[in-house]
Amino acid sequence: MFFHIVLERNMQLHPRHFGRNLRENLVSKLMKDVEGTCSGRHGFVVAITGIENVGKGLIRDGTGFVTFPVKYQCVVFRPFKGEVLEAVVTMVNKMGFFAEAGPVQIFVSNHLIPDDMEFQSGDMPNYTTSDGSIQKDSEVRLKIIGTRVDATEIFCIGTIKDDFLGVINDPTTA
Amino acid sequence: MPRRRANNTHEDDEPSHDDQVGDQYDGYESNGGRHVSMKRKRRDGEGEEEEEEEEDDEYDNDEEEDYCRRKRRSSVRDFLDDIAAEADSGEDEDDEDDAEDGFIDDDVTELLKENKGRMPRRPFLPTEDDQDDVEEMARRIEEKYGSLSRPEQYDEGYGEETTHVEQQALLPSVRDPKLWLVKCEIGHEREAAVCLMQKSIDRTELQISSAIALDNLKNYIYIEAQKEAHVMEACKGLRYLNPKKIMIVPLKEMAGVLSVKSKPVDISKDTWIRMKIGTYKGDLAKVTDVDDMQQRVTVKLVPRIDLQELADKLAGVEFVKKAFVPPPRLINIIEVREKNIHVERKRDPFTGEYFEKIAGMMFKDGFLYKSVSMKSISYHNIQPSFDELERFLRPGENGDGNFSNSLLSGDTKTEHFSKGDKVLVVSGDLKNMRGIVEKVEDEYACIRPDIKDLPETLTFNVKDLSKFFETGDHVKVVSGTQEGATGMVTKVEGRVLVIVSDASMEEIRVFAHCVMKSSEVTSTNNGNKDYQLHDLVLLNDSSFGIIIRVDGKAYQVLKGTPERAEIEVLMYRDINSKIEKMGTTEDRFRNRISVKDIARIVEGPFKGKQGPVEHIYKQTVFIHDRKNIDHGGFFCVKAKSCTLLGGLYARGDIRGGVMDSRVSSLRSLACIPRSPGRPQIRRDERRYQSGRRGHDSIVGTMVKICKGHYKGSRGRVVDIKGQSVRIELESQMRIVTVGRSEISDKVNVTTPGCDAPLYGLGSETPMRVHDSMREPGTPFHDGMRTPMRNWAWHPYASISPARDSFSLASQLERAASPASGWASRNCSAPGTPRESRTHANSANIMRSPPLLVASGMILIAAT
Repeated sequence: MFFHIVLERNMQLHPRHFGRNLRENLVSKLMKDVEGTCSGRHGFVVAITGIENVGKGLIRDGTGFVTFPVKYQCVVFRPFKGEVLEAVVTMVNKMGFFAEAGPVQIFVSNHLIPDDMEFQSGDMPNYTTSDGSIQKDSEVRLKIIGTRVDATEIFCIGTIKDDFLGVINDPTTA
Repeated sequence: MPRRRANNTHEDDEPSHDDQVGDQYDGYESNGGRHVSMKRKRRDGEGEEEEEEEEDDEYDNDEEEDYCRRKRRSSVRDFLDDIAAEADSGEDEDDEDDAEDGFIDDDVTELLKENKGRMPRRPFLPTEDDQDDVEEMARRIEEKYGSLSRPEQYDEGYGEETTHVEQQALLPSVRDPKLWLVKCEIGHEREAAVCLMQKSIDRTELQISSAIALDNLKNYIYIEAQKEAHVMEACKGLRYLNPKKIMIVPLKEMAGVLSVKSKPVDISKDTWIRMKIGTYKGDLAKVTDVDDMQQRVTVKLVPRIDLQELADKLAGVEFVKKAFVPPPRLINIIEVREKNIHVERKRDPFTGEYFEKIAGMMFKDGFLYKSVSMKSISYHNIQPSFDELERFLRPGENGDGNFSNSLLSGDTKTEHFSKGDKVLVVSGDLKNMRGIVEKVEDEYACIRPDIKDLPETLTFNVKDLSKFFETGDHVKVVSGTQEGATGMVTKVEGRVLVIVSDASMEEIRVFAHCVMKSSEVTSTNNGNKDYQLHDLVLLNDSSFGIIIRVDGKAYQVLKGTPERAEIEVLMYRDINSKIEKMGTTEDRFRNRISVKDIARIVEGPFKGKQGPVEHIYKQTVFIHDRKNIDHGGFFCVKAKSCTLLGGLYARGDIRGGVMDSRVSSLRSLACIPRSPGRPQIRRDERRYQSGRRGHDSIVGTMVKICKGHYKGSRGRVVDIKGQSVRIELESQMRIVTVGRSEISDKVNVTTPGCDAPLYGLGSETPMRVHDSMREPGTPFHDGMRTPMRNWAWHPYASISPARDSFSLASQLERAASPASGWASRNCSAPGTPRESRTHANSANIMRSPPLLVASGMILIAAT
């Protein structure tokens, strides 16, 4: 699920960046630092959409670095247990398949694939039913049943063994 | 053996006494030992019994005849003393002393007398139907042990209430008969003991108290007697016994001889056992039938039969016995028939089930049914692994219930619950109810049911509970072979969970009781902290590899053989050390690759794959591709067969293209990814760099650390402070401080853009000149800060927008005159062509920063 939230961060800026473009520098550094990161609480920071407020900088003794408290608006993406989302299949094997929904990797175990979908190995491994097949680059709708949050990534376990879940766009038929 | 003692209804002063004795019989039977006691019986007609409490000789002669007739049937039972009283049973210590007295003096002599009377009346096989006899026997036993003045000994049962001290008091003392160890022919221990019993019945003058043959002790029997001579006497004439080798059992060890430490056999149908000997040694088996009398069990095994060998054997063909044990495989009857092996179909008379009989072996559903001795199996703490259990799962019997039930019987270990665990009730009235553990007290757990109508908490025996997980739970395996692994539950099959491991992305199957809920993510599977998953390790054969899996003590290592996936499973001892070094290497186009860089493979079997470099060793890189599940996503390639993403693609262009070298120098200057604010920052860096005095000219340049802890690392100089330099390491995203003397700045020579420093520094030169040419009145330090920088910036800033396309010529022009002047003053390189002069100059700057400082100061002073 995407959220547009306001977060705060203390930015440390090297004195060399001070000057007319201080704010610009600060923002670009913030973007560099924050975008693409992942936290357990908020999920992936997808993009910074605006700066709410840059607080007063505090010069740190000894180093000359200045700490600015920056409040910024950003779009975050955080998968939840029970959430239904669409994802692109990246890999299929006999254990199940991996799919990606943006930065989130989701694994759908073969226990969580409907029983009528059978694994077919070969050049293009896939799970096939009458409705369509799941193979690499297929788009699937799945439900997240478990998440694991690391420092750098969020990993999910999904299922398509439920109503209205499964292939939504099959590259072979398209 | 007629050892059992019927439930007698003997009314006596101590009614409970007999029951206790009976109990002990039962208990003893299961211990599998024998204790044949040969109390000598009284021979004389009167006073058959010793009734210690009242009067001894109260039998009159009329009754004697009758008694003796009964006696001969019961006497064997009297001799068989199945009570391992010394060690196990509880006694009251206050009776101890009396007992000592009574035991030998009264009892033995009286028994002796009694024996005389019975002697001619053999044989004495008893008949079970004789009820009087039973009563009589009960009384006799009571009297016999009553004579020991230890009535409470049996009332106490198996010492549940007795304290340690009381137990101590029961131990044999110096006044008791000694226990002698007599060598006996192997396999005849029991026989010898029975012979001794017979002998003592026949010959009353024998002075031994008892003879004991232990099932677990071969080659020896014990004889209880006061003197060695008595033992010698008893052994005389028995060829199984060797009276020359008689040893006394020390007083301390006497109790140990007869105490039974093993738990009572609790083999029942459907328990899992393991074979101890033979072809099936170590194999898991399931008990299908137990024969307590014969001490045998029928077990169900996955057969290890080589059909070809069997066929050859049956056909009488000469065959060579193979050295290896055939792998376990279910027998297919059709296959057997094809080999022309005779299959007989037989019905089991008891169960009515049909078995296939092949060469004397019984099969059903492909499993071997085998009758084995209880001694040849082990049945304590059997923890079947999942694979083994799966083998017992008949194809088609895949139902959850069946399988999990069979698993249920397999684990005898009680689960450990903790507060907050989700549990499922597995037996009892509330079966299948779920709840959350509130409190655990020994065997009982209070759980809060998830059904609203039920009371707040219910108490269950932990045996009735099972841990319960839902798909998606993140769990940690706390016991068993997969201990330490973490992962997410993808399927719950009764008591078995399917978990996707965090570390390997593989599915593992574990029992629910081995698992607990945890948010912890372990990348390593063991507690051994030395080597962890994904460590680069040096192996003992001087090869190297990356650990891709840790199984307990074993490490699976992907060896560093490029272009091949060579996996080796190694033990801890096979690994020499961990390689900590984070080196760099060069790719196909001589771009420098360091750890965490993303590289694409351009040739070889892994062509097309890409991923972050995890380790570099010598010319080999280990790349992790998360789309690849083999070997934990790792593969190993030569550095030369991959290219750095975002790196230079064609080496050939470097020489000619000014632009390329610029790009490359930019790249090496700042390893910051491109972002909107980038040009700005870069320009600032420039200014900042140039704004400082000459000694700062190495700020932003790539240097190599040639000494100290970071030796060999390269990085960009970010700051200089006195004699220390802060360097942002290229290989690790961090800044370290090293001494000025520890860096060498010849790195640029090896970089692809070897021309770059020239231009870079060339462009700097004018600014330095500007610096030096400013009005001399400005104080040294302040002067070079703000005003100076501002002044210096402008000319540069005017250049910078056009920097990407700036003309080399104009740049050089700019640099020309002051630089040459400078150069001639400091480097004494006059007369050289302009360009080379500049080169020399810059080289000098690069090589000798201290000199540069000096020259900067000289410049100021001069102007």
